[in-house]
Amino acid sequence: MPHPGFSRRHLLGASIGAAAGSGALTGFPTIWAQNIREITLQHAGLTVTALPQIAERASKDLGFTVRMQASEGADLLNRFLSQSSAIDVADVSITYLKYLVGRNVLQTIPLSKMKHWDQTIPLFTRGEYADGRKASTEGVAPYTVLYATSEEGKAFAPGPTEWLTSMPSITNADTLGIRPDLVGRPIASWADLLDPAFKGKAALQDQPTIGIIDVALALQSGGRMSYGNKGNMTRAEIDRTIGMMLEIKRAGQFRAFWSSFDQSVNLMASGEVVIQSMWSPAVSAARTRGIPCTFQPLREGYRGWGYNLGIMKHLTGLKRDCAIEYANWYASGFEGAVIARQGYYSCQPELARKHLTSAEWDYWYDGKPAATELPDPFGKPSVKPGEVRDGGAFSARMGNIAVWNSVMDEDRYLTRKWNEFITS
Amino acid sequence: MSITQPAEHAALAPRPTRRRRLRLSPRLVSLLQVGPLGIVLIAFFALPTLIFLVVSFYDYDRTGIYPDFLLDNYRELLTSPATLRLYLSSLQFAFIVWGITLFLGFNIAWFLVIHVRTRVMRTVLFLLCAIPFWTSGIIRTIAWIPFLGRNGAFNSALMDLHLIDRPLDFLLFSPFAVCVTYVHLFTLLMIGPIANSLSKIDPALLEAARDAGASRWQTMVEVVIPLSKTGIALGSILVFTQVMGDFFVVKQMSGGQSASIVSALATEIQAMQYPPASASAMLLVLFVALMVAGMMRIVDIRKELVR
Amino acid sequence: MRHHARRPWTFYALAMLMTLFLLFLYGPMLVIYILSFQGPEGGVTFPMVGTSTFWFEEILRPGQMANIPAAFGRSILLASLVSLLTVLISVAAGMGFRRRFPGSGLIFYLAVASLVMPSLLVGFGIGLGFQLFGWQPGLFTSALAAQLTWTLPFGLFAMFAVFNRFNRAYEEAATDLGASAWQRLRHVTLPILLPGILGVAMGSFTLSYDEYARTTLVAGNRNTLPLEIYALISSATSPTLFAIGTVTTAVSFLVIGTTLALVIRLQRRRAAALR
Repeated sequence: MPHPGFSRRHLLGASIGAAAGSGALTGFPTIWAQNIREITLQHAGLTVTALPQIAERASKDLGFTVRMQASEGADLLNRFLSQSSAIDVADVSITYLKYLVGRNVLQTIPLSKMKHWDQTIPLFTRGEYADGRKASTEGVAPYTVLYATSEEGKAFAPGPTEWLTSMPSITNADTLGIRPDLVGRPIASWADLLDPAFKGKAALQDQPTIGIIDVALALQSGGRMSYGNKGNMTRAEIDRTIGMMLEIKRAGQFRAFWSSFDQSVNLMASGEVVIQSMWSPAVSAARTRGIPCTFQPLREGYRGWGYNLGIMKHLTGLKRDCAIEYANWYASGFEGAVIARQGYYSCQPELARKHLTSAEWDYWYDGKPAATELPDPFGKPSVKPGEVRDGGAFSARMGNIAVWNSVMDEDRYLTRKWNEFITS
Repeated sequence: MSITQPAEHAALAPRPTRRRRLRLSPRLVSLLQVGPLGIVLIAFFALPTLIFLVVSFYDYDRTGIYPDFLLDNYRELLTSPATLRLYLSSLQFAFIVWGITLFLGFNIAWFLVIHVRTRVMRTVLFLLCAIPFWTSGIIRTIAWIPFLGRNGAFNSALMDLHLIDRPLDFLLFSPFAVCVTYVHLFTLLMIGPIANSLSKIDPALLEAARDAGASRWQTMVEVVIPLSKTGIALGSILVFTQVMGDFFVVKQMSGGQSASIVSALATEIQAMQYPPASASAMLLVLFVALMVAGMMRIVDIRKELVR
Repeated sequence: MRHHARRPWTFYALAMLMTLFLLFLYGPMLVIYILSFQGPEGGVTFPMVGTSTFWFEEILRPGQMANIPAAFGRSILLASLVSLLTVLISVAAGMGFRRRFPGSGLIFYLAVASLVMPSLLVGFGIGLGFQLFGWQPGLFTSALAAQLTWTLPFGLFAMFAVFNRFNRAYEEAATDLGASAWQRLRHVTLPILLPGILGVAMGSFTLSYDEYARTTLVAGNRNTLPLEIYALISSATSPTLFAIGTVTTAVSFLVIGTTLALVIRLQRRRAAALR
């Protein structure tokens, strides 16, 4: 695995330089003193990022110890409140930032300390695609939850400030996964999810905001509903949508409502379901079993989402400096390459590129056929030569976001209505 | 046994001279014995529950909860059509599963205790029942999916035997699948306490009943069931509380088509909506405690102990 | 009944039921065992894509998504501790409940309520308490406490079943013969209760080893096996899960088989010595 120009010394020099530049107000140079060896940073993350290889590499590069703990996303969210002292840095879904900012859980990160800011995709920093087009603002667009009004981080700022709520790290865009052998016709629109032809063979994710947004995309493109903002519905819109969902459910459209990755893959692989909204790695997982499964690009676009790296409020002094240093390391490419091999995108793609072979980059980011057999992060072959990634290049997938995953203003109402929907 | 016996003993055996020592009153001894349990339950269960009782009256929005005394959470809970549906469906599961596990549990316990002759054999059979429980419940639940699915082992077997020509859909992601999994997971909870009760029945008593001309059925109803009712009651409480408190099995095995009281509550917790989740938890605890209190009117476990 | 040579018809009926129940119990387990030998390309559902021991090797290979061996070790340790504490506390409490004492009803209903209180909230509440006092949450502090609120009611109710119809005359006889309270407990009460106590130990070990919802919000920064498994299924899917199941079963059979063989040999030797 090539990682040109990246070494501890390199980083060390860079950070000392940065520290000197910033006037050493925070006592930054002390970070490289002997006592950082005793620091252990506890990273609570998702299963895809909380990997031993990332922790080992970070510990080696940075000189302090990083330890990983993997957990499921919703549990992670609640642990921020139930045991915040056991967590130092964490993967935070950008939608969860809506719950967390204002609850005194995370501390802000000074923008000036972010070494790779210029490498971070503008979709996150400004809400624009690389070619300068404005991206969708339906749902929780990443840049709307990125900046805090002040160092205390009690509220979101509408535009760029000097204080970040968290550091952009992972992004991806979801669409419908289909079984091309079983759907029997081309699928081109979200509306196909609700096509009665797939009665008893469609599925939704059992998560209020994601589930209702997928249906909203389908209803809207089928011309049955129109929304001001699918990612932030009004009560009336929620009522009408849930009402239609109930009818559709009673008609027997849905085979299942899945709540874990594993479930979504098994539904598809076993043929119980032939069309459902899916994560792209779940599609790959079904495909590696020899089951035809396509991550189908649709004309309305994708449902985008992202994860940021957050630093917990209780960190101070040296440990906080280490956490910021870790955030910079996290953005610097190694982690980006590891998640790329699982089908997720780094928010600093050009840095991840340095840790990918050109064949890997071409396949995962450029939408080109795999030149050679490509491994997953654990060295097991996962992509066969000649395979092409569904949806094509990064710019095509992350350049066509219809709506972002969301936490709506009417969240409280939606949860109630969703429970009513699921139970009936 | 009667309490007169010690007196007889005392009369028969020459009483050795006793050292004088501090004698605690029996009640105090009981308190000391139950003390550790009480402390754990009060510190780690009652106090957190008290917090949630208070929180259930709080106001909340997306970014916080606010001290208040609102009845809104309860009002929303009690007026939501979802609540009644959830309780009905959970109760339905609970009663079906209770009936099946009771039938299986009683008969298997009876078989193990009365029919199996050697102790080793009994232990081996009991352990055979217990071993699957050391495999994670998550894994055991998921294992039913390849078994019951459209292309699963069971459907394939039926198709191979030409008993059906199209896979049965109702096997998986259905109330049926949920019940099967519950029975799979919880029957042991019934076998254990009932076997314990049955093993205390003196075989001579059964023989006496038979010698007195009682039929098998009469012996069962008049002798065995009254003597094992504590075990039955304990097993029932365990199974009942487990089903009412479940949120994983119902979601996995119904494919999300059914929900349970706790799975709905989990949806609220995932959105950090603690006040309504607390209100829902309070209602659940109260409801189940009343059900158990009802059960205690039929079989008072504690009274059985005190005799 | 036991000395009747001929079995009544109910024996055969119940033996049949027992067999069917065991089939039912092991049916899906069999699926686990078979699927754990999936080929490297296969998944967690049928069809089998070749056969291999790949997924077993995967458990032990370092650097995977889930560190199963480490989580397994922690779970065993935690479960042993929970089991020990549950036995000590619930045996004592079971004895205490044989008399009426003030507050017995309260404790009983607390135990019942503790079984039904949604587990996520129990864990959450304990976590809040630990934060309030500034204690560091961890597997052997907060998670242990959370699991005890779950295993203790089980232990207590199991002890109810054990003490139910326990003949107290034995204890009283011991007292009358001059046994001290400790001697009475050691030589009279405990031996009679031993099978029940072993049951509680085994039961609470199992409950703790498998506990997820109470532990997850207060586990500190190390995962138990169920937490690791749950994290795994939330972002990946592989027959590793089933391989874990197969290994667990194999180890259980091995441990139990060995113990049983030892006990039987010991009994035989003892019987021989007596003769």
